[in-house]
Amino acid sequence: MKQYPPKWADRLLEWYCHPALLEEIQGDAHELFSRKAKENLQMAKLQFVWNVARFFRLKNIRKSTTTYSSNSFTMLKSYLTTAFRTAVRHPLNSSINILALSLALGIAITSFIFIDSQLHADHFHTNLNRIYQVTSRIEIDKQIDEWSDSPILLAPMMLQEQSIVEASTRILDGEAIVKYKDDVFNESLWFVDPSFLEMFSFPIVKGSKNPLANGNDIVLERKIAQKYFGDADPIGKSLSLILNGNVREEFTVTAVIERPAGSSLYATILLPMSKFNNQMPDKTNDWAYQVDGMFILLKKNHGVDELSKEMNRYVALQNIASPQWAVKDFQFQSLDGLALKSSGIISSVSAGPDPAALYSLGVIAILLLTLASLNYMNVSIATVATRLKEIGIRKVIGGQKKEIVAQFLTENFALCSVSLLVGCLLSYLFLLPGFNSLFPVNLSFGFSSGNVIFLFFGALLLFIGVLSGAYPAFYIASFQPVKILAGREKFGQKSLFSRVLLTLQFIVAIITIVGSFVFIDNSIYLKNKDWGYTHSNIITVGVKEKSSYLALRDKLLTDPEIVKMAGAEGHIGRSDNRISFVHHEQRIEAIDFQVGYNYLETMSIRLKEGRLFDQKNQSDRQHSLVINETLVKKLGWTSPIGQSIELDSTKFTVVGIVEDFHYQGFFNKLGPVILRLTDEDKFNYLAIQTAGANVNDTHQRIKSVWASIAPNEPYEGFVQDDVFTDFNRDNNANVKLLVFISTITITLASLGLFGLISFNTTRRMKEYSIRKVLGANLSQIFGLMTRDYVTILLTAFVVGAPAGFLLINSLIQAIYPNPQNTQPLPFIVAVLVMLCTVAVTVSSQLIRIRKENPSTTLKKI
Amino acid sequence: MKRNNIGELEELVLLTVGILYPEAYGVEVMDEIEKQAGRSLNISAVHSVLTRLEEKGYLKSKMSDPTEERGGRRKRIFLLTAAGKRALEEANELRTQLFNQIPKMALLFRLT
Repeated sequence: MKQYPPKWADRLLEWYCHPALLEEIQGDAHELFSRKAKENLQMAKLQFVWNVARFFRLKNIRKSTTTYSSNSFTMLKSYLTTAFRTAVRHPLNSSINILALSLALGIAITSFIFIDSQLHADHFHTNLNRIYQVTSRIEIDKQIDEWSDSPILLAPMMLQEQSIVEASTRILDGEAIVKYKDDVFNESLWFVDPSFLEMFSFPIVKGSKNPLANGNDIVLERKIAQKYFGDADPIGKSLSLILNGNVREEFTVTAVIERPAGSSLYATILLPMSKFNNQMPDKTNDWAYQVDGMFILLKKNHGVDELSKEMNRYVALQNIASPQWAVKDFQFQSLDGLALKSSGIISSVSAGPDPAALYSLGVIAILLLTLASLNYMNVSIATVATRLKEIGIRKVIGGQKKEIVAQFLTENFALCSVSLLVGCLLSYLFLLPGFNSLFPVNLSFGFSSGNVIFLFFGALLLFIGVLSGAYPAFYIASFQPVKILAGREKFGQKSLFSRVLLTLQFIVAIITIVGSFVFIDNSIYLKNKDWGYTHSNIITVGVKEKSSYLALRDKLLTDPEIVKMAGAEGHIGRSDNRISFVHHEQRIEAIDFQVGYNYLETMSIRLKEGRLFDQKNQSDRQHSLVINETLVKKLGWTSPIGQSIELDSTKFTVVGIVEDFHYQGFFNKLGPVILRLTDEDKFNYLAIQTAGANVNDTHQRIKSVWASIAPNEPYEGFVQDDVFTDFNRDNNANVKLLVFISTITITLASLGLFGLISFNTTRRMKEYSIRKVLGANLSQIFGLMTRDYVTILLTAFVVGAPAGFLLINSLIQAIYPNPQNTQPLPFIVAVLVMLCTVAVTVSSQLIRIRKENPSTTLKKI
Repeated sequence: MKRNNIGELEELVLLTVGILYPEAYGVEVMDEIEKQAGRSLNISAVHSVLTRLEEKGYLKSKMSDPTEERGGRRKRIFLLTAAGKRALEEANELRTQLFNQIPKMALLFRLT
């Protein structure tokens, strides 16, 4: 019986082998097979496969099926040489192209690094896919919200009863006054179950493996450890904490953890849950008591859907225990992607970026890339006119359309690759450091994984390469060689397509510029907006203890710079305690400030009607209210003085109306405000009005007074101007980012325009020279040069300006609830900026024409 | 003198092709080398040496008649060219010449 070698191996050989060599190679392989097959068929087959594999050498491999592409490799070299020569021959155009593309690419790369880091911020957790946060869905006023809170007993109970739950941890917010030697600070901290550090993979820099075993263990984040201990080894050192009340306790540092950049769980100081249990034993076993967050770790190969049925029981338990906080159901949120959902979870323990911010960054990057690609497309179509002869010759000596396309695409990809490199450099050297300084992030030039780099850069190159190169390549390749060589091909002079492109480019540029200016104008308006009270001369000190409040007040009474002082429980700009009451069967929520006598006078709140609180008036302490205008409007009162409201079953009479004032940053809408009196025992703040001259000196003086009267309490004073620091920082960052982006857009658009105009000027130099000789003056030539572009610019303004305004206005409305009405100024500025750019671009060429001696131009053949 | 750049394996293959005249082809060469020199080579290695030698001009080749055991395929029969013969002679000469220059003592000494 005749034996045959494995068919697939034979086919493989036939497929890869060079046809000229196939017969002998296959023959030898078969001969060896049939010889071996007589002894052992299996071995023979194996040997055959082995031989086929060994024959796979460069020499034996079939080159390619089609004949002409056998020299495509050689041609590639020729294309690259031509590309290099063309680039060098038109240094201006090529540098404009590379610069514009690199800028856009740099921005795209930087945005991508940011987005990538945000999406993968939590990927350092090895159990990422098995960890879930359990959240509660609560229905209030027919609106269902997801809350981060969960019953204190849920986590231990689930761990005990559900076999697929491997571990669980709770997170409970706390606060402490921490003291080490002379340093005293207020710190926020987390009570967590000891399994916290096993479930999550926060790297333990120093210390024991099970650091939260004992009640008085404390784990610090590296930066916190550095704050207290500097470079010394913190392990085993003791920190004293006042958790609640006046009890000072000693804690031993057992471990220092690292918090990787961007981690959505912001762990700073960790204390064991058992400490909390000791402090509040009555809450420990109370279903009604809520912790701020809980996480479960599932066993491998199990999903949360297996738990969903079981959860109903816990919902019932919770709702019996606390009917006023009725849970609709419990949800599971995977830790993977939790960062992006954090903003949608109320009082979330995790924090992440706003998804909208990531989207807009991505959109901006793509917009800029498109703009740069259009730019490139435009310039390359225009410059092709100088290369018509080259294309004609290539076609005549046998170049096919395919090859011309290949040539121009190769050129394009080569240029794009160079731009990509320059873009990386730009991002690494300038854009990323700039981004870091603008926003509270610390990004490094890196990616989450190798695949991401490969995919991202591949996609980027493909995107810009194809977008910018495909049209010119195909268009150019379709020319008739005869026409070209006979000089009958009039390409690039009045191409409708390139005008449409330029118009598009300018529309995008104007949208961005108008939008940016409207936004910037609004930001400046908000920065200078009246807060509703005088804030420049106010210093506020946080005081927790009544004794220190009194001591500070008494010491400061003699200070000549201080005009007025008053205590308050909630302070304007810092607190937002909410209270709700029923008025005519309508539930109204208001911000509640409980203050001391004279507080409103100290803060220079403006009285509109009635009076402020009066120390001589006995009933004021218990029954008087001052409210703001918004609340009056909301209640619909025409004569509000003397009206009454019931708060917590006490009747209050309105004695005064004050003008609206900003108690939070401008991101929030101004709401109804209630001001009432409270006792000194409850004061948290001492507001101080200074005479105005040199607030900072007075602030320093108050600080030293504090150190002498309360050495064990942290000094928490601030000037009122700093209350909106966060708001101002975000606002400034937005303005800077927008200024940057609009500068780039203008640069890109004008680079494109410049490239086009300078090219057309070169092309028409002879025409201009003849006109000059015949007596045309510069303004006539200017008219000729710009005629084409005036329509383009006008169209762009007409379309771009309203579009930009509408876009940005909806954005402003979404961000700031109380924006100003749009002013004409931003439009005028935008138009002027664009006109200036165009004028500079055109006049640079006009100067060239003026300097050019017509005889030199005309002598050239 | 222009040097003939042939390696040791090339020389071996070239010699074997000479020995097997007029029936030298891939498998046969491989077998012969194994038999004579005790070196087992993979068929693909033999092939690449044969083609290399042909490119250098030391061998020429022609296709034989089809045979049954090769599934009706032809063999490529390799023959020595004049250049190949000279290259072999030169290599051989050089070797003998060098060998003869070794003092008898050295050989004797090594033998003991």
